[in-house]
Amino acid sequence: MLKEKWSALKARCKTCSRVTLVLAVGFGALLVAGGLLAAGAAGLAWTNTESFCVSCHEMRDNVYAEFDGTIHASNRSGVRAICSDCHVPREPGPLLMAKILATKDLYHHLLGTIDTKEKFEAKRHELATNVWRKMKQTDSLPCRNCHVESAMSADLQSERAQSQHAKAKAEKLTCIDCHYGIAHTEPEGPGPQELDMSK
Amino acid sequence: MKTQLISIAALFAALALAGPGNAQGAAAPPVMKKSGCANCHSLDKKKVGPSYKETAAKYKGNADAEAKLVTHLTTSPKVMVDGKEEPHSSLKTTNDADVKAVVAWILAQ
Repeated sequence: MLKEKWSALKARCKTCSRVTLVLAVGFGALLVAGGLLAAGAAGLAWTNTESFCVSCHEMRDNVYAEFDGTIHASNRSGVRAICSDCHVPREPGPLLMAKILATKDLYHHLLGTIDTKEKFEAKRHELATNVWRKMKQTDSLPCRNCHVESAMSADLQSERAQSQHAKAKAEKLTCIDCHYGIAHTEPEGPGPQELDMSK
Repeated sequence: MKTQLISIAALFAALALAGPGNAQGAAAPPVMKKSGCANCHSLDKKKVGPSYKETAAKYKGNADAEAKLVTHLTTSPKVMVDGKEEPHSSLKTTNDADVKAVVAWILAQ
């Protein structure tokens, strides 16, 4: 089959040398591969946007509605976080893994697992625990991508914050151990500090 | 006639399933988000300060509960945090009704 294709190619350009043809085919393949890569990257970037996440009513009517009015949504400086800033890893490997695993969200959306307020509330603690667990596994990396501890100015931070953070360091706590229920409504039940991380 | 009866029956079923409205299931008043209460207080877990459930239990049956809490949330009284005394933050609102709504919500937890 390849031989036929090669002959057809040669027939189209009788004066072209073999090298020229190989280069032409190679360049064409490069363009196609580049195009596919760009399309893939654009697609992945699209799935990281706020509008993509809230296109599912399960998110829009529950966690996104709760997010509104919190400090990560609107504040004095206007610097805000969107869903992917906290819920999608930035490193390429973990990012791709997260995107592949996120197909379970599509599965549950089709099943209607949390498609009513009541169903969502019933699962709230389980869903929160999933997120807390992931955060604890990375020492709250989603937080630390923006909140860099070494860049926290002691002059500008309140005394309470400074003493609480010193306490957290002494007790080997991570951000999410105390800073939960900030972006979304806190579920009743065991919190991040009570999670059994050995499981 | 039959479809009307079914619709009425469905309406009653929906109302029955909706359950009694209680403040515990209700969302926290929005002014609490603005005021940063969650920085120190959790629903039922230990954070810097007592949980809302703890506070509700402490004031259960107390006739002065509302007045005491309104004062607490509007006058920045000193509280003990890890052995250090510091002023308690006030709710970020000047509206009395908003304050009362927060107090009512806390006491219902």
